[in-house]
This record gives sequence, C-alpha cells and structure tokens, in this order.
Amino acid sequence: MNPSSLSPVGESVTRIDALEKVTGEAQFADDIQFGPGLLYGRVARSPHPHAQIKGIDVGEALALPGVKAVVTGDDAGGKIGLYLKDRYTFCRDRVRYVGDPVAGVVAASEEIAEQACKLIRVEYEVLEPVLDPLRGAEPDAPVLHPDLGEYEVANFIFPRPGTNISNHFKIRKGDVDAAWPQCDVVVERAFRVPHVQHVPIEPHVAVAQVDRSGQITLWTSSQSPFAQRNLIAESLGISQSQVRVISPYVGGGFGSKAGVSMEALAVVMAQKVPGRPVKMRLTREEEFFCAFVRQGLVAKTQAGATKDGKLLAMKTEYYWDAGAYTEYGVNITRASGYSSTGPYEIPNVWADSYCVYTNHPVGGPMRGFGMPEIHWGIEQIMDLVAEELNMDKVEFRKKNCVREGSIIVTGSKMHPTGLLECIDKAAQAIDWGKDEPASAPHKRRGKGLAIMWKAPAMPPNPGSSAWVRFNEDATLTVGIGGQEIGQGTFTVAAQMAAAVLGVPFEWVRISAPLDTRYSPYEWQTVASRLTWSMGNAIVAAAQDTRRQILELAAEHWGENIDDLDIKDGVVVSYQSEESLPLKDMVVYGLPKPNDQGWRGGPIIGHGKFMPTYVTGLDPETGQGPRSVVHYTTGCQAVDLEVDTETGQITVLRVAAAYDVGKAINPDQVRAQIEGGVVQGLSTALFESIRFGEDGAPQNPSFVDYRIATVVDMPLKIIPLIVEVPQDDGPWGARGVGEHSMVPTAPAIANAVAAALGVRILDMPLTAEKVFLALEEKGERS
Amino acid sequence: MELANPGLPNFDYVRATTPAEVIGLLLQHPDDARLFMGGTDVFVRMRDGAMTPKLLIDVKRLPGLTEITYDPETGLHIGAAANMNAIARHPVVLEHYPLLVESVNAVASYPLRTRATMGGNLCNASPCADTALAALLLEAMLVAAGPDGDRAIPAGAFFLGPGKHALKPGEFLTRIEIPTPPAGWAGRFIKLGRNAHGDLAIASAAAGGYPDESAPSGYRFRVALGSVAPTPIRVPEAEAILAQGPINEKTCDAAADAARAAARPIDDVRASAKYRKAMVKTLTRRALVEVWAMLQKEG
Amino acid sequence: MATHQITLTVNGVKEHTQVSSNITLLTLLRERLGLTGTKNGCAAGECGACTVLIDGEPVNACMVLAVETDGAEIVTVEGLARDGELDALQAAFIEHTGVQCGFCTPGVLVSARALLNRSPDPDEDEIKDALRGNLCRCTGYVRIVEAVKAAARGGD
Ligand SMILES: Cc1cc2nc3c(=O)[nH]c(=O)nc-3n(C[C@@H](O)[C@@H](O)[C@H](O)COP(=O)(O)OP(=O)(O)OC[C@H]3O[C@@H](n4cnc5c(N)ncnc54)[C@H](O)[C@@H]3O)c2cc1C
Ligand code: FES
Ligand code: FES
Repeated sequence: MNPSSLSPVGESVTRIDALEKVTGEAQFADDIQFGPGLLYGRVARSPHPHAQIKGIDVGEALALPGVKAVVTGDDAGGKIGLYLKDRYTFCRDRVRYVGDPVAGVVAASEEIAEQACKLIRVEYEVLEPVLDPLRGAEPDAPVLHPDLGEYEVANFIFPRPGTNISNHFKIRKGDVDAAWPQCDVVVERAFRVPHVQHVPIEPHVAVAQVDRSGQITLWTSSQSPFAQRNLIAESLGISQSQVRVISPYVGGGFGSKAGVSMEALAVVMAQKVPGRPVKMRLTREEEFFCAFVRQGLVAKTQAGATKDGKLLAMKTEYYWDAGAYTEYGVNITRASGYSSTGPYEIPNVWADSYCVYTNHPVGGPMRGFGMPEIHWGIEQIMDLVAEELNMDKVEFRKKNCVREGSIIVTGSKMHPTGLLECIDKAAQAIDWGKDEPASAPHKRRGKGLAIMWKAPAMPPNPGSSAWVRFNEDATLTVGIGGQEIGQGTFTVAAQMAAAVLGVPFEWVRISAPLDTRYSPYEWQTVASRLTWSMGNAIVAAAQDTRRQILELAAEHWGENIDDLDIKDGVVVSYQSEESLPLKDMVVYGLPKPNDQGWRGGPIIGHGKFMPTYVTGLDPETGQGPRSVVHYTTGCQAVDLEVDTETGQITVLRVAAAYDVGKAINPDQVRAQIEGGVVQGLSTALFESIRFGEDGAPQNPSFVDYRIATVVDMPLKIIPLIVEVPQDDGPWGARGVGEHSMVPTAPAIANAVAAALGVRILDMPLTAEKVFLALEEKGERS
Repeated sequence: MELANPGLPNFDYVRATTPAEVIGLLLQHPDDARLFMGGTDVFVRMRDGAMTPKLLIDVKRLPGLTEITYDPETGLHIGAAANMNAIARHPVVLEHYPLLVESVNAVASYPLRTRATMGGNLCNASPCADTALAALLLEAMLVAAGPDGDRAIPAGAFFLGPGKHALKPGEFLTRIEIPTPPAGWAGRFIKLGRNAHGDLAIASAAAGGYPDESAPSGYRFRVALGSVAPTPIRVPEAEAILAQGPINEKTCDAAADAARAAARPIDDVRASAKYRKAMVKTLTRRALVEVWAMLQKEG
Repeated sequence: MATHQITLTVNGVKEHTQVSSNITLLTLLRERLGLTGTKNGCAAGECGACTVLIDGEPVNACMVLAVETDGAEIVTVEGLARDGELDALQAAFIEHTGVQCGFCTPGVLVSARALLNRSPDPDEDEIKDALRGNLCRCTGYVRIVEAVKAAARGGD
C-alpha cells in the first residue's frame, strides 16, 4: 500500500491550508462576494417554548420599504430530517422551542429584514411546555409530536407514537437481575449533563439563489454539502440534481454544521425572489440556540463488581433531553445505547436509552456524538466502584477494560486495541500514584483519569468517493467530498494520495471549495470518519490512477507492470532501469515508436469506499455480530488543584493518549488532542445553556456563556499517540477528531473528587458549585 | 425574549468639538441623544435594543478629553475619554497608582481597552465596573461640565443605582481627578470571574491602607466591593474595624465578615447571591492580607 | 439617515468612501472594501475575530463606527505581510500549526502583532494576557502560544 520510500504518510507535513489562512485569503462562506444584487434574510422566531399558531399577519412587514418577500410555513416544503423527518423548515401549526422559525423576511438589508420581522404579528395559543426529559417521558406529559407515528424514519430507529419518545434503544445482554446478588459492591448514581453549544467561532451562514427553472444553488458553511443537497431536495420534493451546494472552508463545526439546520430557511426565502441571492446569517446570540445544541442528559447508572475487582453487571437508563426536533438526535440515543458500558467488558448489561422530545432547542450532533455525555457518568461510576473496592483506579480499569477479543456490550468481538497502552502512558505522564503537594495551604491537589471509546455513529452504509486528475506538469488534483473544518483533512488527503502515487506531497492540490456538482460524493464530514473512510476511497482512487500510469509505461517499454514503480514523480523500471517523468505522460499520453500514433490520454482515476460489513442490531436486545466499524479508544489523566476558598479549579497537567491506529500526520493528531482537551475542559468547567421557567435561554451571548480562553488552558497538555493498526483503515488509521473531548470532563471530575473528597454529579464544575459542595460538606479550610 | 440585532440601528452621528456644543445638544435632545467615547457599552446596548438613541455624540475629540497629567499637589487628572490602555501604560500611573492599573487590566481584553475608557466605565454605572472600585478607593473626584459650569462630584456620591449616576441633564463627564495617595499607601484589587481572567466580575474587592497615627491601629484602610450591590460600594464597617485594630489575621477576617454583611448581591446567570456573599469574604480577606503584607514590607 | 464622507488608509491604501452612521469599521472593511480577512464572530467585542490595528493599536473592529475612522490608519490581516514577505508571526503560525479552521487566525495574528510591537520579547503570561480576548475553539491555544513565542524569538 505504501509504494514510495519518500512517503509523506506518518510525517508531520505542514498543513496545506495554513498559508491561505494566515494571510486572510482563505475564503469562508460569508466572505463570498455577491455584488449589489444580494438580499438578506432574517427570521421571526417563536417567543414561546410550546404553542399553537392561530394566525400570522405579515401585512405590516410586507409594507415596509425595502422588504422583498415574506415567507411562512405555508411556503415551505414538506418535512425535513436526517434519520426521522419530524420538522418543517418554517413552523406550520405549532412552535416547539423558543427560537423556532415562524416566518422569514427577505429585504435589501439585514437591518430592514430584522425590522420587518418585528412587525410580523403572530397569534399563539400557549401550550404547556416540557422542559425536562424526565417529565417528558412521563405518561401524562403533553405530547409534542402527536403525529410521531406518521413520520418517515430510518429502520434502526424506534419511535414510540403517542409519547415523547422518538427513539428507544435497548441492550439486554446476559442477566443483570441474576448478577446483582453475586456482586460484592454495587454503586448507583444519577448524573446530569446540561445543554451546551458547539461555539464554532464562525457563526452559521447560508446564501441561497433559485433561478427561474427552479435550480437551487446554496453557498454554506457546511460539514455536509451532500446531505444538505439530499435533505433539501427531499423536503421540497425535487430532484437532487436541482440542488447544488457549494461550501468553502468551514470556520469550525464540531457537529453544529452537520446535516441541515438554518440552511433550509435561506432556500425557502430565496424561492420567493427568483434570481436574487439571499444571505442568511445567524447572529452569535442566535447561534447559541437556533441551530443545533448538544443534547442534555439524565443518566441513571448502576454498576456492580466482585471483590476481586471484576465488573459483573451494569444497568443504565438514559433520558436524553433531545429538544424540539430529534431528526438527527435519535441516532445519538442509539449510539449511546450501544456504547453504554464505556470501554469495559461486562457480562451482564441492561440499558434503555430514550430520546425524549422537550421544548428546548434542537439537539444535534456535537463532537463525540453522545460519548462525552455518557462517559461523564460511566467514568465516575467506575471511580466510585473502585473506591468501594479499595482498588487503585488505574488497576481497576486495566482489569476490566476491553481488549482484543473481548465480548463487548452488543455481543460483538472487540478488534485489536491499544487501550491498555493508552492507560499506562497517560497515567505515567502525570506520575500517577505519586502524591504531590498543592501550591498553597488553601489549595488541594488531586489526580484523576478517565478512559473512553467511540465508534463512528452512522447508518450502516455511508459512502466515500474520490478521484485524481493531473495538470500538464503532473501536479495533480485530488477530488474529495470531505470538508476542511479545521481538522486538517485536506492535508491528510494529500498525504495519502501522494504516498500511494509516489509523487511529492507538494504536487497535490485538493478540489476545493466543495461543490456537489463537481466533488465526489461524501456522506458527511462527521463521526471522525474521513481519515478512515474517505482515506480508503483516496487510496483506491490513487491506486487506480497508479495502475493506469504503470500500464501505460509498461506498454510503452514493453515491460511487465510488476517491475515498475513511481518514485518522486518519475516512473522507473527496476528491470530495465528506464525512467519517465510523469509530466511526459499523464496528460498527453506517450508516442508510439516510429510516429505510429499515440497511446494513453489524460489520466483520471477514481475510487470508493463504503463499509459493507456493519450488521443490524436486534431491536429487543441490541445484540449483533458487528454493530460498528470500529472503536477508537483512549485515556486522559488529569492533575489539578482546587482553591477551597473560591472553588476555582486550575488544571495543571492533562495527559491524553489515543490509539489512532496509524498517525498519518502525527502533529495534526496532537493538535486534535490539544483542541479536544481544551474544548472538553471548557464544557467541564464553564458551559451550560441556562433556561428560565419560560423556556427561554438566559445566556445566549459570549458575555453570559463563557468558553475557555487562552488563560484557562491547562498549564501543560501532553498528547500521546498509540498505534495499534485497524484492519479496515488506510495504513491502519482510525479517527481521532472527536475523541479527545470525550474523557476530559469525567477525568477532571474524578481528579476533583480525589482532591476534595467531594463528588459532583452534575456538569459543569463551576467554581460556585465546587465551593458550595465543599461548604455543604463542612470541610472548607 | 429580545434578541440582539445583527447590526446597529439607525442614528445620526456628531463629532463634538466644544463642550458648549455637547451641552447644547444634550439639552436640545434630552431623550434621544447619547454621549459616547469608546462605545463599548453604548454599541452593545444599542444592538440589544436596550438603548435607542437617535443621535450619538462623540465627545472623545474634545480638547483635553484624552489627556493624562500628574501633579503631586493636585494629583492625577485623567481625561474622561482617555482609553484604558493609555492609562495603564502611563509612567506616573504605573508608579503611583498600581491599584488603578490592576483594575484597568482586569477589564475585558487589550483590544477592547484600546477603546474602552475609564470615564465611560464610570458613567455606565454598572455594579461590576472594575475601575469604579479604584475610583472609590482612591477617592476620585469626577468633574462634569454642564449648563451651570463645572462641577466636581466625589466618586462616593456618583453611583446611584444600576446604570444611574449623579450627572444632571446637560452635564457630561470631562475629567477624573485622583488625589495622590497618602504616604505609605498600598492597595490591591482582586476580581473573581468565571474564566481565570477577562470575565465580568462575579464579585470584586479592592483594599488599600496607609500608616496613620491618628488611628488606634496605626493604619487607615479603605475597602470597596464590586458586583455585590446595586452600585459599587465602600464598606465603612470594615474600615472602622481595621482602624481599631490591631491588624492581624483575625482583624482582617472580622473586616472581611463586615464586608460580607454589607454586600447585598443578587442571583444572576453569573452566580448566586449566596456564592457572591461568600466570595466577598474570601476576596476582601485576601486583599487585606496582601495589603497588610505590603504595608509591613514598606514600614 | 446621515451619511458621512470619510478618508482613511487601509493597509497603506487611501480610501475615500461614504458611510452611514451605523456602519461599523468591520462592516466597512468586509462589505465595502472587500477585505474579508477580518472576521465577524460576535459583533459584540467578545471574540476578537475582528481585531485590526488603528493607528498601531489593536481594536475590535465591530466596536468602532466607520465614521470614527476618518483620517485613521488601519492595518488588517491582509496588511501584515509586506513586500511579499510574511510577517514573522504568519510564518510561525504555519510552522507551528497555530492554525486549524483558521477563523480566529486573522484576529489572533493582529493581536499578537500588536503585542510584539509593544513588547518584543514577551513571556508566556504576557502572551496569554494579550490574547485573552481572542477566542479559539479549535486549537486549545497550545500552538498559538508556541507560535507567538517562536515569532518573538526569531522575529524582527
Ligand atoms: C466584551 C466586553 C467586555 C467587557 N468587560 C468588562 C469588564 O471586565 N469590566 C468592566 O468593568 N467593564 C467591562 N466592559 C464594559 C466596559 O468596556 C465599559 O464599561 C467601558 O469602560 C465604557 O467605556 P466607553 O468609553 O466604551 O463608554 P461608552 O460606551 O462610550 O459610554 C458608556 C456610558 O457612558 C455614557 N457616556 C459616555 N461618555 C460620557 C461622558 N463624557 N459623560 C457622561 N456620560 C458619558 C454613555 O452614554 C454610556 O451610557 C466590557 C465591555 C465589553 C463590550
Ligand atoms: S466580531 Fe468583533 S469581537 Fe467578535
Ligand atoms: S483555529 Fe478555529 S477558531 Fe481558532
């Protein structure tokens, strides 16, 4: 697979997008110029968490000078959604969260559009809201989606019509009831995780233009141009060929720009003003609750072990605070169910994962896809069990964690994994077991760790494709449909293509911006799946290209293809020692001898990848032979101090070790780890969207919703790479983009518990919460 | 709920060149004109829809309004429109008013402080205004120009409530006069936010002290608090305890308790009143202990 | 609505333009002058993505009215490189992978340039203090700080 001795794979080559990005030339969606014809869209939103729409009067808004069009639910198409079609682009009869789009205004400027929105009169009949998932799951709760039974749904999602449960995923493995009496230690706790937001620094933006034939062009900041094309076409009942999505660099996504959220609003508005581009931007304030947020979670968990430290049973109930629409979130419920033990081998498991509609913002995918939320409880429960057993927490984890051949929660067999090595490396890096003094008398020091696993959560058949074509001088373009959202995928794509082809990395360009009209299909840039899945497609495309080149050269020289190779952009023969630069053949072909014509022609290679081996899970037991493509595993160890007089936490060291299979670009793996650690730390210490009793978010701004700044970062982050190859990954690679955020919060919670003897079960660990917990315990110095 | 607008609503802009012009415009438009200097409060509130002025009067180019001068007799004079970075890097401020530097540097970020002014921070009259604590503790005089001429208002009488101050219609702030601190003065400002630095205060405390033989303890102290009452406040009860002395950890603790008792915080998204009260004690005690250590080092 | 004729210099180029009172410098740069390197992340002075230099000092361009910049000298990220030579910071951000999605990068670079102009050899705390108004959600800040340190050491 790795034909060139000069392979850039495994090298920390410089990012190919770095130069553009430091000069300010890199183009983001809001940077594209549309000239004076550009119109702007703004949206009137529901002030109520739950209400019936009785009537909408847009007369005054339409009359405002500068207003070009007003749209409401009647103008929008059918339902839209990824796994469960449960929402309209603009509300029809009912609003389900504060911020739900009710009407849209297209105007000559953003200000006029905004002003007009304020003139739209909506008559509501306010309904009782559901503001808590436990309440939502009760039999007498108001039902948010009475038509749930009629919604179109993927065949691995199980809604419960007549209730607020849009997916119920079950695990029934072994016999938990029989196992509890055999446990010497049983611990039970309930954990809460609040809604948080992704906070990409680039807010959502979409520009839509509809021409008179109905052809739609959409310029967006998107992780999922193809999914957007598909879902918008389906919702409007038109051919996918009628929708073209163009997406330049994305200024951070973290899941918020996956699937479709606000982009469909722009399309519906643009349909009213054919020929004119309509720009729709979320303000930062809207960003906090009008696109996707991370789902909230109430997790009730019980775990038991024998006195020799073996985990025997685990029972879990997840109540996902999934928000008003769960078109994407239903699959988070599923992923969390089939990962509900964390990376542990436990013979008896019972899990119920409920996706509960609430009148909160729309829960969607966010870095980790349910894993940071569930590991918050899993990894604290494991600490608690170890404490009850009086066992060292590293030893306990090493005794119970999954290894190759383990029978995991779904009954599948675990593939090779470097989790044990990750645990050892991370623990060692913070001098686990060594008591170290705090820096002041009023401070307490503590160390804690957490392990994790995460599999790409997707339908069983998400595809990738790629192509390769050459310029006259043999520099080449690699066509991909995966998006550069900061994770470095363009660089890694170029590395992989260059390695297979045997050309210098510097020769490779990526076909960007993504354009569904020209780019090869890619399901979505989510799930940490690109290096692996798109990587496989790139390898296939490059191999196809390479084969065509070698066949041409073999024919030209009359040699056997097996004796040929490409090195540094030159075809060489080990047999005849002939050589031929690629530039002499990849576009123009090669002349036959004696002026007898030519052979070859512009070379273009293509490749695809789709996992074909993921099987379904039994709907009653959640058991199946291969539930996912693979799990990436890892461990984070944290060393911190707590100021007992303020409750403030200072993270001194975080060691983070991940088994990435193969680091295609080690520096970028480390960069992903660092970024994930700090995002995880930020959610652990600061973040939550707070809601008032009226269901409205109380802190939708950077003033009130704080994220970690440079002064909050840990004093030291130690990224560690483990490489146990994956059978279905290019060079053995697995994804690592999301994972580094998963165990950060529970590792911090465990370290705080170690420092203070106080355990906090609700995220985040604000200074206030820590201080008040200490005060309650009566142990403040 | 009201959401922030994408941009600023419409208004007219005037760059004022003389105080008389400013006063005239203010009197002429009592309801719909707003002064601004850095605009860091005004623009944010206009975008939120909390302020809807039809006329913005830019006063920062008025003669002298960004000047910073010092005279040991009359003290430090800071033009109302001097930006915070200019204040914090001024050699005299660095030498004589380290407490002011601390409170200025606690505000937001360096780029924001290129615009944000101390005058604006005071006139915004937020309970959490960081430089207000310095103004209270250093007993600044706030000089306003108005229809009846200039008027100096003691910082202690300036703040009347959230967003409310003692300026009368037609008046505007031109200068902040800060006396030279008493001989032997040492001061400390401590702010607690959610982030390590740069957040608005959950609570803040400033303390200063200097030797004074007329006090039974041999020292006079001043204590001020931010974000825990409708305005930034001084705490005379704590100051009295410290004047009585003797100055030791126990007295500092008692003074911190007095500060805690004087605080009347509210619950908001940043913190609960309960936590704020507790933090008043922690921050006040820390500030006092540090000031005391500095005083002893000097003494 | 009142409009005003202003003249300013942006990255060394003189610009005469007509602006209405309520247009911010950020909007002027991005939507009138086509200088889209400077980003809008919040329009509220909180994220630092819009940081530019006015007369050598960094400001949040979303917190400045365009009309106020009459006569001012503005430098944006597009003006950091001179005569085809990258600024030492730009080179260091490439070399040390201080960039991921790149959306915060222009603002970070301008803030850091202002820091090095006033303090050519800053220590780590000084760097963090100078950049605390620049939010980055991707990098965890590690390599940003490293890159600034490197630029200071190797820079001019
Ligand atoms: C992102 C961000 C973070 C912040 N963080 C902090 C913080 O940590 N700590 C803190 O204390 N503050 C903070 N602030 C607020 C702080 O920036 C302001 O209070 C600033 O100091 C005000 O100065 P300015 O010149 O910008 O005032 P402006 O906005 O120009 O004016 C402020 C107020 O004073 C009035 N006014 C202006 N000039 C005069 C005058 N000459 N006479 C009378 N009235 C006048 C205005 O009408 C307005 O009501 C923050 C603001 C932002 C945007
Ligand atoms: S856009 Fe100006 S600070 Fe965020
Ligand atoms: S690199 Fe993405 S926000 Fe900083």
